[in-house]
Amino acid sequence: MRTGRVLTVAGLLAVAAAYVRAIMFTGIEAVQGPAQKIMYVHVPSAWCAFLAFVLVGVCSGLYLWLGDRRLDTFSEASVEVGVVLIGLVLITGPIWGKPIWGTWWQWEPRLTSTLFLFFLFVGYLTLRRAMFDPAERARYSAVVGILGAMLVPFIHLSVYMFRTIHPRPVVLNPEGPTMPGSFVATLLFSVGAFTLLYLGLVTMRYGLGRLRALREARDAPAA
Amino acid sequence: MLLLREPLDNGHFMLAAYLIVAVVLVGYSVMLMLRVRAEVLRERGTGNREE
Repeated sequence: MRTGRVLTVAGLLAVAAAYVRAIMFTGIEAVQGPAQKIMYVHVPSAWCAFLAFVLVGVCSGLYLWLGDRRLDTFSEASVEVGVVLIGLVLITGPIWGKPIWGTWWQWEPRLTSTLFLFFLFVGYLTLRRAMFDPAERARYSAVVGILGAMLVPFIHLSVYMFRTIHPRPVVLNPEGPTMPGSFVATLLFSVGAFTLLYLGLVTMRYGLGRLRALREARDAPAA
Repeated sequence: MLLLREPLDNGHFMLAAYLIVAVVLVGYSVMLMLRVRAEVLRERGTGNREE
């Protein structure tokens, strides 16, 4: 858990450095103005949330196969951190959308499916709290985790599959980045900082989950 | 994308987003550290090793 605490503090410092780089040392985009800099927190939050949920899908599948409780504990940790991050995506997106699109929200595929993903994983956490048998809870959670993770590629591809006001990826697109190099460098720096923070948070939350699992196992015979 | 000499007046949207993200990330990190600490203290209280 000490590793998680160190990684988290390092991640927070890295995010602070990304803020300074984005605000003071990165140019202002011609069409959108300063609001475009929301990208440097919106996109990394989305990247880390999707990473968290993909890992949940992988670990949930492995849990159903191997039955190792540590995989279930990691999935729970990753979901909790992912829900915080996807929450940030859903807050910063409308704040960016209002000055650029002229509206806080549109019920279009990318935004709506991201909102559903948030609800689904809030449901995952609620399900875990409602079940008391550890093995049954882990099994049902794993199924929900796999189903939730299957939404991630759909959300990523939704801008190609449907007519949507959400822009297509500006870095991960087939033609290469469509931004100046300094913008891409700041974005990648920020993605790195958020990823480091994700690793710290998930490590710390995993440690908490292991402690709880051990206590649960110890208390089980007395119950 | 081009660089702009005269910034548009929508910087307050950027500041609001950055402030909310900072508060949530720092708040969640601190809360998680406190939860871990509470669990460790609970373990100590029951006479078990912490880590």
